[in-house]
Amino acid sequence: MSILIEAESEAAALEWLHENGRTDGLPVIIPTKERVARMALASGLDPALSLGAMGPGGGDTTVHAIATNAVMAGCLPDHMPVVLAAIQAMLDPAFDLPEMQSTTHSTAPLLIVNGPIRQACGIASGFGALGPGHRANASIGRAVRLCMINIGGAVPGVSDMALLGHPGKFTFCLAEDEEQSPWPPLHTSLGYLAEQSVAVVVGAEAPHSCIFQNDADDPTSADRLLRSLAATIANLGSNNAHFRRGHVVVALNPEQANVLHAAGIDRAEAQRRIHAAAVNRQGLLAQLNPAFVRPGADPDVLVHAVHAPEDILLFVAGGSGLYATVFPSWAAGAHANPVVHHEIVTDQACEIPGLSYG
Amino acid sequence: MRDGINMARRSIPTVALVTSEFWPQGDFVAGAAGMPDIPRLQLPHPVAGSGHDSMSELADEIAPRLVALLQSSSEPDNQSDSANQPA
Repeated sequence: MSILIEAESEAAALEWLHENGRTDGLPVIIPTKERVARMALASGLDPALSLGAMGPGGGDTTVHAIATNAVMAGCLPDHMPVVLAAIQAMLDPAFDLPEMQSTTHSTAPLLIVNGPIRQACGIASGFGALGPGHRANASIGRAVRLCMINIGGAVPGVSDMALLGHPGKFTFCLAEDEEQSPWPPLHTSLGYLAEQSVAVVVGAEAPHSCIFQNDADDPTSADRLLRSLAATIANLGSNNAHFRRGHVVVALNPEQANVLHAAGIDRAEAQRRIHAAAVNRQGLLAQLNPAFVRPGADPDVLVHAVHAPEDILLFVAGGSGLYATVFPSWAAGAHANPVVHHEIVTDQACEIPGLSYG
Repeated sequence: MRDGINMARRSIPTVALVTSEFWPQGDFVAGAAGMPDIPRLQLPHPVAGSGHDSMSELADEIAPRLVALLQSSSEPDNQSDSANQPA
């Protein structure tokens, strides 16, 4: 349900939005009727179209509501199709959004964008792509979060029960560096064509760094990298290690991806070998958290931190250097924290008379 | 809370057990599901990990209240005057 408020100034409207829990705590662009209408127009859809209820509050996810939050986040109309596709993906019942919004775990939807829309919107994939300074990344990810607050009804300590949360709950969006990746783009591994644009979303913890020093003279370099990634995934504090399920995300920087490529390792082989090495002894898990291990279980059995190789979402992003990034996950919910995705439709937008905010 | 709501929707007599720390969330979820009055009993927080004896003591305390509530002979915490005061 949309509401229309009247205020004597934009400053007064901003204070109303803050006081009524409609922001993420930072200033927002005031979603005037004109700005929202222009943003909705960029979707090419009827603003009244409902995409479904968003949990945990069950708010009606209309195109108008999404456009409102996109305006507030600072999105340009060009960004709207990306926000729309991300929300469409997250409304897939398999994503368990109501439960994910409600969990005590530190998890947030990580949005990875593939395809030509990356250039059209300027979504960064290189140095600091998850950090500040990239308008499209910041505002698209923020729009997703504001939708979760204002449509989904996420309120810290009331309906969003994350014990601490993480900074990715403000914004958590980047693109794959398809141009520097030695492998086919991530979305082609999910059944799309390379020329399609796609929003890939997975609930994820904050980024965990994984250090790896390549040595061109060392024939075991590629194997060392894969085992380093596996060790980071299987870290004994993660939900994945103890629940043995859920997708995890690995962002390799271009240099590291090329180490694997040079060793003849493609994405599927890398997933297979990381999965095989991301194990813990059941006895060690039982020592730390016996509640999650069946009594009498064989302590010497090796258990995988993720169920299957394809549950490791492997893509290329970031500047080249020492560090890869691993995103462990919540690993819970009825569907065990899966990856969801939706095509970003870019040919439905109407002509927009100017892009500046009026 | 959602389990309780799903059971109630199947017309199964239901009482949701909610710890004090999660009492506001219980109110939120019940309201969002359109069942704001679904019976709830408040437990201390935490229950998980509080130890066998403590949990056993709590079960002994809560079971008669649970049965009485299912028999409609008592009032749930979410409808009593002293409720809705999370710790």
